[in-house]
Order: sequence, then C-alpha cells, then structure tokens
Amino acid sequence: MNGILEALAVSKRFGETLALDGVSLQVNAGEVFCLLGANGAGKTTLVNIFLNFIAPTSGEARVDGRDVTRHALAAKRDMAYIPEQVMLYGVLSGLENLRYFAALATDEDLPERRALDLLRQVGLDETAARRRISEYSKGMRQKVGIAIASAKNAKAFLLDEPTSGLDPKAANEFSQLLRTARDKGVAVLTTTHDLFHAKQTGSRIGIMRRGRLVENLLAADISHLDLESLYLKHMSNQDE
Amino acid sequence: MPPLSTLDKLQRTLQGPGTGYLFTRVFLNEGRILLADRTLWLACGLLFLFLGYSLYVGLSQVRAREAVLQGITLRDAEKADKSITQLRRILAGHETPDPFSNPADPASVASGLGARHAVLPYLALAPLALGQSDMAPNYYRVTNRNKSTFLYDGEMDNPWNLMTGHFDTAFVVIYLLPLLILGVSYNMLSAERERGTLRLLLSHSLGIGTLLLAKTAVRALAVLTTTGATVAAVLLPERGGSLEYLFWLGMIAAYAVFWFAVAAAVNALGKASATNAFALIVVWVTLVILAPVLLNLAVSQAYPAPSRTELATRSRLITIGGLNRFADLLATDYRHVGKPQVLLPKDGKIEVAERRKAHLLIARQVDAELDTLLAAFEKQLLAQQQFIERFSLISPAAVIHEGMSALAGTGSRRYTQFTQQVSTYHMDWKAFFEVRILNGIAMTEPDFARLPKFSWLEQPATALRGQLAGYALQLLVPSLLLGLWARRRLRRYPMV
Repeated sequence: MNGILEALAVSKRFGETLALDGVSLQVNAGEVFCLLGANGAGKTTLVNIFLNFIAPTSGEARVDGRDVTRHALAAKRDMAYIPEQVMLYGVLSGLENLRYFAALATDEDLPERRALDLLRQVGLDETAARRRISEYSKGMRQKVGIAIASAKNAKAFLLDEPTSGLDPKAANEFSQLLRTARDKGVAVLTTTHDLFHAKQTGSRIGIMRRGRLVENLLAADISHLDLESLYLKHMSNQDE
Repeated sequence: MPPLSTLDKLQRTLQGPGTGYLFTRVFLNEGRILLADRTLWLACGLLFLFLGYSLYVGLSQVRAREAVLQGITLRDAEKADKSITQLRRILAGHETPDPFSNPADPASVASGLGARHAVLPYLALAPLALGQSDMAPNYYRVTNRNKSTFLYDGEMDNPWNLMTGHFDTAFVVIYLLPLLILGVSYNMLSAERERGTLRLLLSHSLGIGTLLLAKTAVRALAVLTTTGATVAAVLLPERGGSLEYLFWLGMIAAYAVFWFAVAAAVNALGKASATNAFALIVVWVTLVILAPVLLNLAVSQAYPAPSRTELATRSRLITIGGLNRFADLLATDYRHVGKPQVLLPKDGKIEVAERRKAHLLIARQVDAELDTLLAAFEKQLLAQQQFIERFSLISPAAVIHEGMSALAGTGSRRYTQFTQQVSTYHMDWKAFFEVRILNGIAMTEPDFARLPKFSWLEQPATALRGQLAGYALQLLVPSLLLGLWARRRLRRYPMV
C-alpha cells in the first residue's frame, strides 16, 4: 500500500548539525501519525521538508507519490497545513480569512454560506465568524486553521504542534476534528509533545530523537503508560 | 444572504484556474487588507495632497508666465500699430519726427522702435515640470544689437528657488513618489513572514513569486491611479494635451516600476522589515540625491561651464574697439536733434544718422568676432547636455527628470533649439535692416508688414517620442533585470 505521505531516508544537515538522519515513515489514507519528540528532535524540520520550505540534504519526501522538491506546487495541492500558531490577517474577519485561504487552496471561490458552515463545524458561529481576527483567541484562530484545511479537501494534513497552548477543552475539540478528518480518509501527520493527545488520536506513533525516528508504533499496540515510559526512556537518553 | 460587495463581484468575475487566478486572489485580498489597515488611504492621500499642491504651484507659475508672454505679444502688436500710425502722421505732415524714435528711419525701427519679441510658448504639460524655465527665458527682445547683449545675458529666478527647486509635480514624482512607493512596499514579504502568515500562504500551491508580484501590482495600481487621476483631473480640463499626458503617465509608470522593482529585489533578500527599510533608504539617497550630484560634478569636470563673465568682457572690449574705430561717425549725430526736418523721407530715401550706422557696424563686428567664442560656448553647452543624456542612466531620477522636462517643453534641448532659432531670427532681422540703414532707404508702411517675424518651430513629435522611448528603456531595462534577479533570489527565500 502506497502512503499518502512518505519520507524515504530523509536527512537534513544545517552546517555541522544533522537535524534529520535518514528518517523514513509512511502515513496512509485514514491514518493519524503522531510524531513525538523533544524540542530540536527534528519534527518541525520534517514538516518543513514536506512543505518544501527547506530541501532535504538527501532522501525524498513524497505526497501522494510526488516528490515535494520537484513537484512542489502540485504536492501542496494535496496537503493542508496547520501550524502551531495559525496566524491570519488581523484586519480581516475569520470569514474573510477563510474565504481567502480557501480560494488559494482550491482554485475556486468558496461561497459565503459554505464558509459559514465550515466555521460552524469547527465551533465558530456567524457572529464570531464576522469578527476581526485581531479579536480572536489562539484557540479560535486554530479553529479557522482547521476550517481552512477542511475547505481544501486535501488528501493529507500536516500539523505542527497544533494543540500547543490550547486549553484542554479546545484541545479535545481539536482532537475530535482530527478524528473526523481521519474518518474521511485523510492522512494526518502531526507533531506533538502531548502523549495523551497522541494516544487518543493517533493510529501510529513515532518517537524522534536527535533527528532519527527511533520508534514507529501502532497506537493500538501500546498502552498510555507504556508509551509514557518508552518516551521517557528515549528522552532520558537524549544527551547520551 | 447579504448582497455581494463590489470587491466580491470583481473577485467572481476574475476567478479562474492556475497562476493567473492565484495572482488575482492575492491581488484582491491585498487590496482589501491595505484598505482595511488604512495603508493605502494614507499613502494615496499623501500623494494626492502633494500632487494637488504641486499642480497648484505649477499652474500658478505657468499662468503668470503665460500672462507675461501674452502681454509682450500684445505690446509688440500695439507698438507696431502705433509706429504705422505715427509714420502716416509724419508723412502727412501732422507730426515732427523724433530723431530717436522715427518710424521712417530704419535704424530707429531696427534698434528698438520695431523690436519684436521671439517667444517660446509653454506646452500643455509645462505646469508639471518647470525645469529650465526657471533659468532660461521664454522670450528675447530681438534688435539689431549684437546677440551677446540679449541672448546670453541670462534671466535668473529667485536664487532660493533655484537652490531648492519649485514644489512642482516633477519634484513630487522624482523625490516623493519613490519614498511613498518604498514606504508601502518595503515589507511586502517580510511583514508576512514576521506576522506568521507567509508559511500558511505558501503551504498552498501559491508560488512566492506570484505572491510578491500580486502584492507589488496592487500597490503599483493604487499609486499610479492616484497620480494619473489627480493630474488628469486638475491639468487636462485647463490645458488639454491628452496624448502628451498619456506619454507622461507612461514615463511615470516606468519610473514607478523601477522603484517597485528595487523594493521587490530588496524584499527577495529575505531580511527583516527594518533592514529592508534601511537598505531602501540607502538606495533612494544614492540614486536620487548622490548620483545626480556626482553626474553634475562629472560634467563640470569633463566640460567646464563656459564663462559668461569672459563672454561679457570680450563683448565689451570688441565694442570699445568699435567705438574707437567709428569715433568719427559717432560724433556726427547731434544735428538731427536740432533739425528734425532732415529726418523726413524724400523719394523713398532718408538720412540715417551716422551714429546709428556706426552702431550697426560695431554690432556686426562684435557678432563676427564673438562668433567663434559663442560657437565654443554653445558647443560646450551641447557637450554638457549630451554627457548628461548619455550618463543619466546611472540615476533613474535624472532619467525621469529629463523625460518629464522634455514632455513639458521645459527641457534643455528645447531651450537650446529656441536660442538657435532666435539666433537665426536675429540674423534675418539684421539682414532686413542692414541694407536699408547703410543705403538710407526709408521705412514704408508695407515694410512694417514685411518685418521678419519669429515663429517657433517645434521639434517633430517623432523626435520627442524617440527621446521618450529612450528614457523609458533606461528605466524599464534595469527594472526588468532587477525583477529577474529578484525572481532568482526568491528561490532561496528563507522560510525557516
């Protein structure tokens, strides 16, 4: 089975620092791959490579079989990205931001009614949707980010610590939205520090350490406690 | 469902697939953002105020100067009518001729009584660029005196104005327009990166080049629309010149494109907004302030300005020589004062005062002897002009100044042509009178109708257009090169 998101022995070197060291992983349709790891483990670097924001030193990243370096724009059509902090245009409303980014994503105008529906699905009513983004909380901005990703109808979601800084309720709602996406057949690769979130939403869980993928587990095969002890074991070896 | 806004309707009309569609979406959204955060209102409002005031200054100046030219032309005509009337009265015996202003005496008519003004008309776009009109007069009073006395004596404006320049539209375009352009475009990409929206934007199938181009285009459209509309609304109803205006707008567009290309290139470096702003100010100071100064220094070194003092001194020395040489003739004048009847024409002849003949001969001698010096003087001015035209491309400000002045008719080339045509007219004037003065032929009424008339011959429109095309190329070629360089540099734009 071909994965929607594939990393094939991807390495990335920044000067003397080896940020990624031959990372290989695959995320299939309807799968949520949670990538755990300490700061500087290489999680965001991998996401940046998938987005073609940086080029790998060696190896290849693919989206639906397309090399992201050689077919960057085509690959991005199949990907939706939600960063740790969804930053939008403060002078525009949530609705205007959604319609703008959705138009960039889909090559077609998103009707206002449909945009309002999408925002409602992520928990933003019409009144909130028509307010300026500068008045939004981080959680509300994240929700607009999800609405943008949903509007794109992408085959893959790339999420870079999306629940970081969210309150538990918002984080839970976010996880629910991810599961919805997964159920629709979207391949999700998300980086996180949150083990609970990973166990709750992930189909697969990877642990990264010093640029290497040191664990690649099926979420169903491991309990939360085992995951925690495994993670701590790797983290305690971080400086070795 | 709420009614669609105009922007939404436009968006829907323009929508389509691919890069063009993405460009349109970014273009429209950028316009919406710049209007919402008041950046465009502020920039275009300032531009509107600057242009409005500059047009007021330009129109006031040109109106006043045109009134002067109109007055001169009117007085010339009135004077000619008065001379004819006076001639009729003298011939009819109703008036005794005055030896110093006798319309029957060709020497009187040639030296002042019939003097005509050679006038260079202001063009439709003159209020946009006062240019050389501050320093070079638009009219000369042509007599049979030597040309160094009127063609090279200069007419200086208020020295303070010469130092600072008028606040005309050329000043706004050359100095302030680039600043406004840089002010709205120094952070086109860096602001997106600093705000955090760049990553989200480029996570879609939107190329960074398309993003930068669309952001540049919306700013360019706003700036050029404000400039074009303000100038058209104020200038065209009063002065016409729609076709010239379109050429002017084309030149302004080329100049604006250059500055947007500079801003795009600096944006492509991927530095912080503050660094971009500093870099662009350095570029502005270099190209708008320093480069023209260096150009002037270079031209004054390569082709030092001819000395007007030397010209005046030489002219005086030759005149003094002439006064000595023709002292006998000059001393035989005063009998005409006491015997005005000798000034009456008889059988088509008149006794021209020897003093006046002497002055004619002196002027002829001065002109002949000064010709070499004047030729060198003009050659030097021409060399300076050619040097400036050849090397003006080191400064887009110099290029646009030359272009705008050429279109406004206040450029050095047109003034040089004017003095050349005035010089020819002066020769015609002298030739007309010389034979009459030296042979004592009295002026008749038909002679007044036959007096040489100055009619300004404008340079062919094709020559001006060729000149403008050259200037436009000097702006567009560097813009294109900068654009290509920026495009190449964007491939390495730092996203992390």
